[in-house]
Amino acid sequence: MSSVQDTIFDIIAKEAGIDRAKITPESTLKELQIQSLDAVQIIFEIEDHFKITLPDRDPNFDTESVQGLIDAVEKLVAEKAAAPSAQA
Amino acid sequence: MRRVVITGMGAISALGHDAGSTWAAMREGRSGIGPFTNIPTDLLVIKIGAEVRGYDPAAHFDSKRLVFLDRVTQFALVAAREAVAQSGLNFKADGLGERTACIVGTGIGGENSHNEQSSRFYGDKNPRVHPLAIVRVMANAPACHVGMEFGLTGPSFAVVSACASANHAMAQAFEMVRSGKVDFAVTGGSEACVTVPTVKAWEAMRVTADDTCRPFCKQRRGMVLGEGAGIFVFEEYEHARKRGAAILAEFAGAGMSADAGDIVLPSVDGAAKALSGALADAQLAPEDVDYINAHGTGTPANDPTESKAIRRVFGAHADRLAVSSTKSMHGHALGAAGAIELVATIGALREGVIPPTANFIDPDPECDLDYVPNTAREKPVRAALSNSFAFGGLNCVVALKRT
Repeated sequence: MSSVQDTIFDIIAKEAGIDRAKITPESTLKELQIQSLDAVQIIFEIEDHFKITLPDRDPNFDTESVQGLIDAVEKLVAEKAAAPSAQA
Repeated sequence: MRRVVITGMGAISALGHDAGSTWAAMREGRSGIGPFTNIPTDLLVIKIGAEVRGYDPAAHFDSKRLVFLDRVTQFALVAAREAVAQSGLNFKADGLGERTACIVGTGIGGENSHNEQSSRFYGDKNPRVHPLAIVRVMANAPACHVGMEFGLTGPSFAVVSACASANHAMAQAFEMVRSGKVDFAVTGGSEACVTVPTVKAWEAMRVTADDTCRPFCKQRRGMVLGEGAGIFVFEEYEHARKRGAAILAEFAGAGMSADAGDIVLPSVDGAAKALSGALADAQLAPEDVDYINAHGTGTPANDPTESKAIRRVFGAHADRLAVSSTKSMHGHALGAAGAIELVATIGALREGVIPPTANFIDPDPECDLDYVPNTAREKPVRAALSNSFAFGGLNCVVALKRT
């Protein structure tokens, strides 16, 4: 498990108040029964933790999988590492 | 039962600095939404809003007075002056002020002053906070200054219920005039919370649009933050009739409810309860209503919920109603929204013109009413409702009639 994935699982479990063991990369937020306000808080905690800004301002919370979120975060973290002066 | 009429109207919004220009823009379907000009946008993702543009405080207030007035209070005063002048009432003469309530809603209060002082303190590390910070920031400041300017010594306070503040304030003023507690009220709502931190906070909720406000249409992407004020003079009907006042409309009733459910997601039940409550209070049958000024924020959640609530309460008559969201033009002015929208509702009643829902592209199957897209429509209006459904699930619908 990558550290990004690990952190994202932690954040989802904490913010949505769900059992961390239920979360898999294939889970969608809808399957995990995460409400939109929880989803917004998850996005905020992820952005704040990694100091990034997720580009999609209204992600499709119903169908997007956790893996999609992990991929997006890993990409932004890598970009940030490549250009350390750029502020997120 | 005593009847309550509106004999004065004032407003300031993204569409103009008075009620006349605000209504004229609504009739034309002209939107006041555009890039922010009063705040720096370098840290913003959402760079658009419905600001009051070209506003010069010095044109309205001398510097000695201005030091007491947050922008939210300035807006309330500008609108109140217009409303009181139109009513022709002199509250300081003949003891009228003693029989007058002053109830002004705001969602946030003195946000610009709060932001300015916080920025000095945390940003500039300046330990000195302005001695008038408290009296500028307090949410009752608009009601206080309006009362002081016109000598209104009856019941006076602010009403806070987020996006329903103005409607709740006006409903309270209406009840007081109807019950005989007072004979007049100066009432409405004011908001001025376009600051960088507030816009960032709205961004974080992911409910604001980055293009424009497109209520009820398929391509809607959320609400657009606005600002401004609307203030009205309410008067007991017989008093207005005897003095030959020009009556703008009858304020016929109000319906209030709380969802007591989710803090953000709206409910059909709560909205329907407020709608049917307003009809009952105003002794209107659904068939008597020709126009509804919708809450219509343009968010994915509000618009279908509001449409379903209207359909549930109005049944078959829902298809004969004109429903429009003027937030497409003046943005969402939160605690002033219901007051600015009352200008639209009064305009529709008086002139038989329905202001449109601007920026409308394609219909959404989830929203199946007649939203008067993009172009105003001539249609006689006998009675109209104006909806406000706030975060927190606090709902207030007001009913107006022609007299």
